[in-house]
Formats: sequence, structure tokens, C-alpha cells
Amino acid sequence: MTPAEIEAYVDAAAAALQLPIAPAHRPGTLQYFALAASMAELIAAHPLTSRDEPAESFVPIAPAARTS
Amino acid sequence: MTALAPSASAADWLLRDASDIARAVREGQVTATAIAHACLERISRTEPRINATTDVTACRALDTAAALDARLAVGDMTARALPLLGVPFAVKNLFDVAGLTTLAGSKIERGKPPAARDGPLIARLQAAGAVLVGALNMDEYAYGFTTENSHEGPTRNPHDLARSAGGSSGGSAAAVAAGQVPFTLGSDTNGSIRVPSSLCGIFGLKPTFGRLPRNGSYPFVASLDHLGPFARSARDLALTYDAMQGFDAADAGCIDRAAEPTLATLDRGLEGLRIATLGGYFTEHAQPEANDAVARVATALGAQRRVELPEVARARAAAFIITNAEGGALHLPELRTQAADFEPLSRDRFLAGALLPAAWVVQAQRVRRWFAHQAAELFRDVDVLLAPATPCVAPEVGTEWLTINGQRLPARPSLGLLTQPISCIGLPVCTVPVWGCHPRLPVGVQVIAAPWREDLVLRVAQVLQQQGVAAAPVAAL
Repeated sequence: MTPAEIEAYVDAAAAALQLPIAPAHRPGTLQYFALAASMAELIAAHPLTSRDEPAESFVPIAPAARTS
Repeated sequence: MTALAPSASAADWLLRDASDIARAVREGQVTATAIAHACLERISRTEPRINATTDVTACRALDTAAALDARLAVGDMTARALPLLGVPFAVKNLFDVAGLTTLAGSKIERGKPPAARDGPLIARLQAAGAVLVGALNMDEYAYGFTTENSHEGPTRNPHDLARSAGGSSGGSAAAVAAGQVPFTLGSDTNGSIRVPSSLCGIFGLKPTFGRLPRNGSYPFVASLDHLGPFARSARDLALTYDAMQGFDAADAGCIDRAAEPTLATLDRGLEGLRIATLGGYFTEHAQPEANDAVARVATALGAQRRVELPEVARARAAAFIITNAEGGALHLPELRTQAADFEPLSRDRFLAGALLPAAWVVQAQRVRRWFAHQAAELFRDVDVLLAPATPCVAPEVGTEWLTINGQRLPARPSLGLLTQPISCIGLPVCTVPVWGCHPRLPVGVQVIAAPWREDLVLRVAQVLQQQGVAAAPVAAL
């Protein structure tokens, strides 16, 4: 992402999430978003197939046994 | 243990490891109450210099110790058999402690009600005879590697007060290195047990992801959070870790698996173990002192093989994205209304994290799983891997930049460069402290095994300690 794209995305996403970013916090937020974007580029470039599932898993929760 | 003279004081016993203290209390050489008093006195005397502690639970400690002594006085054999009889300990202030507000290093949580009960790990340790004496400083909400906490002040490295104790469990490592307590608890999401262990010269165990229950502690990144102990000996890690094992369904990330005690096999030595050093990324991102420490450990273990994990930088990037996104999302309500009350060193990272696109996070979790498969493949051919725990020895408090392999990198996030790829896939790691690679300071080596093989990393740590290659002396304060 270019710096301009990052600024546009951060402003739009912050508005969508109703997350006000104070002027004093904006340069740092943009800097750290750019760092995250560089990390995202690294993982996006990694070849995976549609069969490669995420590491997260969910375990269904059964109801507790009745006591009476 | 080396015997102490019959005239040894409780203050002398306090500087021994937990195993020795419990034995001394059991054999009547010192009382639990005397140990608790000595511990409180040492905290009071050393605290102004290191700033490891945020709460001291003196009344609770003295009451618990007195109750143990009373049980021993009437010949209670159950009390006498407790593995951590009369041993004082403290916890990172993200653990729930009954009667204390769980701060997680923050200003925002300060007005919240106190915890109604202890977290399960504290309860299990107390049931094993341990005596809680306080809560410890940390990076706010565990997002940092230096414990430069702007609300509480920085925790200082007991071996050099100008330097960082590491983080985010900096208080947990510094308290042990300063001899305030023989063991503590901390958390590790990306390196927060292993980094401060390395910088403060003590042993630290990050168990397998899902092994120890995390309910009763303030979360940071549910996908990556681990809890574990710090100590001055491998034996104490085994002793305390064994006392904490056991499934708890209240933690969605805890795996329903039987306890696998490690103490009984601790002295089995190296027989049958295939040990190799991790090359590539791990040597390229370490300064000479850290690589020297790994070389010394490898030589001592007779480990001549060098192996590589593929795509380590991408695994680190995956952990970075998952952490940033989950941490930001967790704190979104406070970021909306109280952003100015956040730690200035991490606030903007939380803000950015709250905005990350979902596609990045899902891709990170897919890369994570791919990387876990690569590690599993490597572990078919090797039992234990060695890597530096930190790229360097403890930097000075306030350090902004590090030079690693000719690259100028931001100091605070870079302290976790070597731990982050390993916790990303939940492998068990014991950090062992190595001295002599730097003129005055320690640096840690990660001893890594396949999932659920905490027994192996502790066995290797025990060998290294017995050989004198790894050691955790109390700092001269």
C-alpha cells in the first residue's frame, strides 16, 4: 500500500468502526498501520492452496448435564 | 542441595531455590513465617532500585505462612508433603488475585472492582504450599518487550540498573533475578516470558500452547497467549509447572489432555536426544553475543547439526498480524473513549491493530498452520532445537534502535524477533541463561521441543545447569 492508500484506508476504517483518532495519535497510527501492511505483504506472498485451513479451530460446547 | 550452616537465617534460605526452601521448611530448619518475613523485607529493601512490584500482599502472605506452620506444628503429614511448602512467589499483575484489581499494567483498569477469586494457577500453587506475596510490573496490556511502563515506571534489570529487564513480564523476571522470590508467573504471547528471562539471566518456561489454563488472567491475544513460570533453576520450573498442570474448560484455548509431570524425568540426561541448532533466520537476527551463547550450549550438548525452519520471517509476520488485530479488537471500546489513557508506547499500535482488514488476519492464521506443519516435519528427525532467545543482551532503558547484522531496527519490537516465530506455533520452550558471552551480562538460549514435550526442554536445561553452562545467580544488589 502507498502512504496515500494507507491514509485513505485508515480514515475510512476508523469512521466505519466509530473509532476517533486524535490528531496527536494519527502519525503513530499511520506508521504502525504501514508496519502491519508490510507484514501482510509478506504473508500474502506466501503460496497456499484453497485447502490450507486457518490455525483457529472451534470446539462446540455441549450443554451441562442436568443435576436432577 | 548444598547444605547451609545450622545457623542459616531465613534470608539465607530465601536466596536458595524453591526446592531447597520447601525442603528446609519441611525439615524444620526454618519456618514458613520466617521465610515470608525475609521475603517481604527483601522486597522492601530492593524495590526502590528495580521497581518490579506493583502490589505487596503482606497480610495474605503472613496469614498463609502462619497457617502452614500451624499445620506442621500439629504433625499434619499432608502439609508436610506439599511440594512448594512455604515457598514465596509473585505474579504478573494480569493474574486475578482475590482482593486486588487486575491491572494488566494499565491505568484504565485501576478503577475496576477487585478480583473475586484467585486465578486457577495461583490457586493450584497455593494448594501445593506456595505463599503469594505480590503482583508484578509489566508492559501495559502485555504489548511490549521492555516493561517501560509509563504509569508505574520502568522495571530495571537487577544485573545493571541502567538496563531494561525485558518484557512484557519484566517484573516477573526482575523479582527472581533480584532474589525477592524464588519463582514467579508471567505470560508469553510473542516472547514475554523468554525475552525477560534472557535479559535478566534466569530460567523461564513457556509451555505448549493450550497446556496451562489462562482463565483468571487478563487476556491479550487469545490465539497466542500462554502462561508459565520463571525461576533460578530448571528443577524449580519442573516443580512449579507440574503443580499447575491440568485441564480447565473455562479457558477455550486449554486442551483437554492429561497432566504429564516432568520432575520424575528431569535427571534422565541427554541419552537418546537428537539436538540441533536452528540456523538461517535465527543466526542472522542475533548479535555475536547471542550466537556465541547458542554455540556454547550446542558444544556442551554435543549438538553438531544445524537445521533450518522454512519461511521464518513469514511466521513472525503472521504472529505480528494476529497479535495486532486481536489486541486492537479486544481494546476497541476503550480505544474509542479513553485513548489518551493508554500507554503512549503502545497506544498507536493498538489503534492501528483495531483497523486491520479481516483478510490479513485469516491469511496470517493460514500461514501459521502451514508453518506448524513444517516444524512438525522437522521434529520427525530431531528432538530439541536451540536458538537465541533475544538478539542481544539487555539494552539500556529508553533505547530506540538496535543494529543487528548491519541492519538498524527499532529496539522494542525487535527484542522479540527470535521468540515470536516459535510461540506462533505454540512449541514448548525453556529459556536458559548463559553468562560469559558479554563482559557483564547474561543472554538466554531457547531450548525448543515438539508440542507437549516440556519434559525434554526441562531435561536439557537441567543438564546445562548441572554442567555450569547455564546459571541464574541472584544479582548483587
